[in-house]
Amino acid sequence: MSEHPSEQLSPAVAVPAPAPSGQMPQRQRASQLAQALRLELHKALIGQNAVVDDVLTALIAGGHVLIEGVPGLGKTLLVRALARCFGGEFARIQFTPDLMPSDVTGHAVYDLQSEQFKLRKGPVFTNLLLADEINRAPAKTQAALLEVMQERQVTLEGRPLAVPLPFMVLATQNPIEQEGTYPLPEAELDRFMLKLRMDYPEQDEELNMVRQVTRSTRADMLDVTPLRALLQAKDLLAIQKIASDLPLDEQVLDYAVRLARATRSWPGLILGAGPRASIALVRGGRARALLRGGDFVLPDDIKRCALAVLRHRVRLAPELDIEGLEVDQVLQQLLDQVPAPRL
Amino acid sequence: MRLTDASVAIRPRSPWEALDLGVLLARQHAGLLMASWALVSLPIFALLCLLLWDYPGWAVFAFWWLKPAYERLPLHILARALFGDTPSLKQALKALPGLLRPQLLASLTWRRFALTRSFDLPVMQLEGLSGQARSQRLVVLGQRDAGAATWLTVVGMHLEMALWLGLVSLFYLLLPAQIELDWSWQSLANAAAGEWLWLEHLSNLLYVLVLIVWEPVYVACGFTLYLNRRTALEAWDIELVFRRLRQRLGGVAYGLLLGCCLLLLQAPTPVMAAEVGNHPLPVTDPIGPEAARLLKQPLSSQAAQDSIEQLLDRPPFEHRETVTRWRFGEDEAAHAGEEPISGLQEWLQKLFKLAELWTGNASLALLFEALLWAALLGLVAVLVWRYRQWLDAFVGRIGLAQRIATPPSRQLFGLEVAPESLPADVAGTVEQLWAEQPRAALGLFYRALLSRLLHDYRLPLHGAHTESEVLRLIQDLDQSELSSFSQTLTLHWENLAYGHRLPPEDLCQTLCHDWRRLLEQGVRT
Repeated sequence: MSEHPSEQLSPAVAVPAPAPSGQMPQRQRASQLAQALRLELHKALIGQNAVVDDVLTALIAGGHVLIEGVPGLGKTLLVRALARCFGGEFARIQFTPDLMPSDVTGHAVYDLQSEQFKLRKGPVFTNLLLADEINRAPAKTQAALLEVMQERQVTLEGRPLAVPLPFMVLATQNPIEQEGTYPLPEAELDRFMLKLRMDYPEQDEELNMVRQVTRSTRADMLDVTPLRALLQAKDLLAIQKIASDLPLDEQVLDYAVRLARATRSWPGLILGAGPRASIALVRGGRARALLRGGDFVLPDDIKRCALAVLRHRVRLAPELDIEGLEVDQVLQQLLDQVPAPRL
Repeated sequence: MRLTDASVAIRPRSPWEALDLGVLLARQHAGLLMASWALVSLPIFALLCLLLWDYPGWAVFAFWWLKPAYERLPLHILARALFGDTPSLKQALKALPGLLRPQLLASLTWRRFALTRSFDLPVMQLEGLSGQARSQRLVVLGQRDAGAATWLTVVGMHLEMALWLGLVSLFYLLLPAQIELDWSWQSLANAAAGEWLWLEHLSNLLYVLVLIVWEPVYVACGFTLYLNRRTALEAWDIELVFRRLRQRLGGVAYGLLLGCCLLLLQAPTPVMAAEVGNHPLPVTDPIGPEAARLLKQPLSSQAAQDSIEQLLDRPPFEHRETVTRWRFGEDEAAHAGEEPISGLQEWLQKLFKLAELWTGNASLALLFEALLWAALLGLVAVLVWRYRQWLDAFVGRIGLAQRIATPPSRQLFGLEVAPESLPADVAGTVEQLWAEQPRAALGLFYRALLSRLLHDYRLPLHGAHTESEVLRLIQDLDQSELSSFSQTLTLHWENLAYGHRLPPEDLCQTLCHDWRRLLEQGVRT
């Protein structure tokens, strides 16, 4: 039986990817920075460690995040804390039913003194954009974000204007069943790399949080002022560059694509995820590997961000919906059945 | 009885037409019938009135009760008159004693209230049947015209009352005005005193007079109904036609018969064509309508005929229906009817025996317990059956089925993990391979670890588990040495497989040592 193992030789062995020696310390530094950022955010947001990890994943991968949860779980607080730790520009739009697309992107105004039209840039021209309660605005206003989210540019008065990089949209929304909400269109949802679910914190974490909040000067919310600004815009760009260079085995790439493809033929899902999902899985896996401090991407990294990547890109079959099954349950079954890569 | 002598046209009629014929018959012989009826009934009524002078009600009741006895005479006259042999009044009255004799008691007692009296009378009187034969005959006859006969009696009763009332009114109208002035209704109401007996007898007399008119009609109608029924049953009309034919052709027939016999008796001589005609003639005419034509057309005449036949075979032209009904197998039913009774008796006897065995309540309670358990199990089965699709769709997928998956798969993660597929000495093989093929060596190690975990530690591993999830499962085993060994192995395996980094040289010794110490024995035991 001694000849058996030779069958499992993969061609990848013959050409092991040579790790560039100069990149290693840089990669470690980026990892450390990301982990420090995570620690800082954990201070601000208690009891939502998984959500913090996911937000950082999207930040490093250069994707947008949609955070869903019932009111009062700290969605906005998380984003504000992130903006505090991040040295770049931060803007916030509170989405209301009467918000206009030009309120988001900007518009031309007539300047009486110069007797000319001047472009007034909207709040999207920033690094971090918090679209608070995005589903309280109708589809017309939500669509104002479509272009900037995909192409990182805004066309105003016929001229394309690039937004500063890095650019990230963090949108929060209440569950669709709540009063006064408009569902996001699929095209909009697909542009979000991750959709995060905020759930109620555990009991001891809630105890801890209540203790801290009641001690702070502002009566009913955690203070984000003591947080340090750890990261500048160019640092973040560098981290994103390093993450996108992380080595990825063919098997792992194959796993990511298989996961996305499995949603298209899975019983119980009438709408599967598109190619954007595979791309987001791989980018998310790279970002997670960096956040983990790893030097390469593991199948675990892909699998851990799969739920957040896929849950807003698939649609549950009506009969399962009627039976009270959640998208997450079905996706978890899918993850439990798609074979992980080996060798 | 000669049907050819009948004075009425004999043919099947509807019952009402037959009744009409009866009225006509009665009218034709009205004088004779009414006279004979009056001659018989009036003396009897006078006699009854004398005997029961003080009880006029009873007198008329007795007279009414004896009606079947008087009805025999009109029937006798009608039966003879029908075939042209009308008796004179004297002859009829002479025949009366002979007519009264048979079955008079039955007619006046239990058959008195038969609703089909006039219809039944000919059976007894003309056919002379009695007892079983009579009742069978009546059943056969009554299959069709009994309804009309019943209506005849019912209508007759009302007609008698109407005629009687009319006659009473006429009598009242004919009273002279002076008498009418003195008429006291109140004294009439108190007539029971006795002075008004003659009046009651007078009204009874009026009833008897009404009967003189009505009863012959009633008897005649019943008689024609009876005739009609027999005409239908015995095909008298056809018989009559044959009789007439015979009368008309009686002489010619013999000659004809003789001629036919002579014709048929001639011996057949061989025909010249018969010898030649070995070839059968073509059945179809080559140029007839049946011949195949239009052979080069898309629709040949044969196909057209076929489709026409198919069309003709289908509904608007053909209407076929199959009727399936339940009916009793009469013979079997007769036999089977006896058995269930004996079976039932046997069953009851067994039941009683069983009941004797149940001395205490305990056995009864046991029975009920069994029944309740059976009901519960049945309910569960029904629920499972009711929600089987739901169970298929969700329970299977949520994970109940996976938990039961007993035989560990031989193929896992695309690796052969069955113990037989591994070399006997894993560590030795790894040491050999390490220098040249480190990936194969580490792969073998990892594969062997998974195999041990599956088969020795019974870890529920399946294809979707990633390396770190396998590690977490190992940690749940609470074996610190095993988990630290697995962590080291997994780390280097991941480095090699996904990071493409070669393991350090000295790792081989450590891993092989740990393997031999921790896992080698596990296989052998």
